[in-house]
Amino acid sequence: MNARIWVIAAKELLQLRRDRLTLAMMIVLPIVQLLLFGYAINTDVRHIATVVFDQDRSAASRDLARSLEATGFYEIVGNVAGYDEIGRALRSNRAHVALVVPPGYASKLARGQSVQAQLVVDGSDPQTVASATNTAASLVLARSSALLVQRLSQFTGARTGEPIELEPDTWYNPELRTAVYIVPGLVGVILTMTMVMLTSMAIARERERGTLEQLIVSPVRGVELVVGKILPYVVIGYVQMTLIFLAGRLVFDVPIRGALAVLYAIAFLFIAANLALGLFFSTLAKTQQQAMQMSFFFLLPNILLSGFMFPWEAMPRPAQLLSQGLPLTHFLRIVRIITLKGGDFADVQVEVLWLSALLGALILLASLRFTKKLG
Amino acid sequence: MSAATGELIIETEHLSRRFGELMAVRDLSLSVRRGEIFGVLGPNGAGKSTTIRMLCGILDPTSGRGTVVGFDIARQAESIKQRIGYMTQRFSLYEDLTVAENLNFYAGIYGVPWTKRRARVDFVLERSGLTGRRKQLAGTLSGGWKQRVALASATIHEPPLLFLDEPTAGVDPVSRREFWEQIHRLAADGTTVLLTTHYMDEAERCHRLSFIFHGELLDVGTPDEIIARRRLSAAELEVDRATEAAAVLRARPEVDEVAHYGRSLRVATRAGSDALELANRLLSEGNFVISQGRRARVTVEDAFVSMVRAEHRERERGGAS
Repeated sequence: MNARIWVIAAKELLQLRRDRLTLAMMIVLPIVQLLLFGYAINTDVRHIATVVFDQDRSAASRDLARSLEATGFYEIVGNVAGYDEIGRALRSNRAHVALVVPPGYASKLARGQSVQAQLVVDGSDPQTVASATNTAASLVLARSSALLVQRLSQFTGARTGEPIELEPDTWYNPELRTAVYIVPGLVGVILTMTMVMLTSMAIARERERGTLEQLIVSPVRGVELVVGKILPYVVIGYVQMTLIFLAGRLVFDVPIRGALAVLYAIAFLFIAANLALGLFFSTLAKTQQQAMQMSFFFLLPNILLSGFMFPWEAMPRPAQLLSQGLPLTHFLRIVRIITLKGGDFADVQVEVLWLSALLGALILLASLRFTKKLG
Repeated sequence: MSAATGELIIETEHLSRRFGELMAVRDLSLSVRRGEIFGVLGPNGAGKSTTIRMLCGILDPTSGRGTVVGFDIARQAESIKQRIGYMTQRFSLYEDLTVAENLNFYAGIYGVPWTKRRARVDFVLERSGLTGRRKQLAGTLSGGWKQRVALASATIHEPPLLFLDEPTAGVDPVSRREFWEQIHRLAADGTTVLLTTHYMDEAERCHRLSFIFHGELLDVGTPDEIIARRRLSAAELEVDRATEAAAVLRARPEVDEVAHYGRSLRVATRAGSDALELANRLLSEGNFVISQGRRARVTVEDAFVSMVRAEHRERERGGAS
């Protein structure tokens, strides 16, 4: 490779070595984020505080409340005596769910009449609501079908089982642990954050200090400058990636089932795409501060739209289309397919194609803006 | 002063550069000889930096042509860049690198082979008196030292031509003097130096000067030639009621410039009239008491001010008609 590229890369490393804070951040940040996201973000809802308004006070009504608690999703925190009290409990966050059992619940059941129990849920947190109602609904459904089966067997005298049974079998993440889902995705998020920010700031710093002008009058070609400057960051990107996988493995027992070599090779496309983007930002920013602001501004849609935290399938169509333009969206799928599902190159080729196309477009964009002439 | 050989290292013909509506440089024809220290003078915004950028090959001229170190500025910019040194008043150094690391970096950028880099850096450090500071971070140096490092970086590849854009702005007088000694040493060794400055004492240390105003070249020559062409005369007087006396003198059309410091006046007149005689006559008529009066040397500053004033008058006349 060209000698000047190494001269620039060596200089960049020297500067990086002097900038202890940035260096520490690049190493510590992935670990801190990993612990933060891994422990704090937990989309599995458990132990929702629940109050019971039992107007029947029968063995059957107490049984219903107990079976609700037995699912692990609900935790009965008290009994209340009216809707007013339910309102107070929900407003003060003492409870998020209230079970209301009507009077005559047990006697109607005994007579084989249909009976309505009510589940009041706190809709200010839709995610909690969704899983709360789903669980309760399936619980109640199971209980009613059990009753039906029981009655049917009383009539016919024959013991029958459930007419249809659905046995869910979850592959790849059977315990449905959030960490398993989040940690591989975190590799993409952290690379996006640090790569875009570091490159855009590294170039903006040269512009701010006047050294860019000094380089422009020198025989350095634009390509040499760009490649030399981003080379050290590519290495840092790989170090970060390795750190996250290692820590994810040790702390959260996140599996890596597929071909790691394939993943590392594909990661180069992703890292390069982010670096090209950082370069593009640096051509727009006049100061390091502007470069930093742009990077943060860019990070937000990445976290929201890429499928890192919210399921891509649940997004409205325009958001889905927009997210196809983000390298992170495709890299996340690749990482999850390879690490969690044990996929190989054949399983991710479409995403790799997307990533390559985005990389090409970004390089074109960056080099069009990054002209060497000042005029 | 070192004798400049006849060989031209910079040559431009009708060089112009337009930025939108603004004509930053207009019809500039210049020639600079090898080994010269060539000064470019002009007020802020006159087009000095634009000229330097065109000569370095980083800004394309709108029209006209030029060759620098034998290469065309529009078509062979990369060949020019390899053979010039460039330094601005910003002393563009990496503040988080040491003096030696900065020099080593620029040596690498200019393609000094890896094996010779160390010796080259040592030599330049020695020449600039920087050996004791080689391991100091550039950001912790004072202005004068930064300037030395910047000059050392600009000459690390021994370029035959050096562009210095206001190299002494904001530097203390002692550093400025040492800087000029260094410039003259480089010129004596055959390096051509083209520099811009606002300091008139520095202008007088150049072998040749050019005045640029509103993008146009007004005059080129040695300091003596430029002064002689203006046909100025200067006198210094000590006089009572100096403020009033200055007003009386300024009212005369042949008076070019009256500088007024406390009780003393410095008068410059143009077009053959003798400053001392004129001042004596006018001030006696006005009953001023002249305690001292003597002829003074006409400086480049007088010539510069006179030229800019004349140009202003010309423009006002042009605008009125």
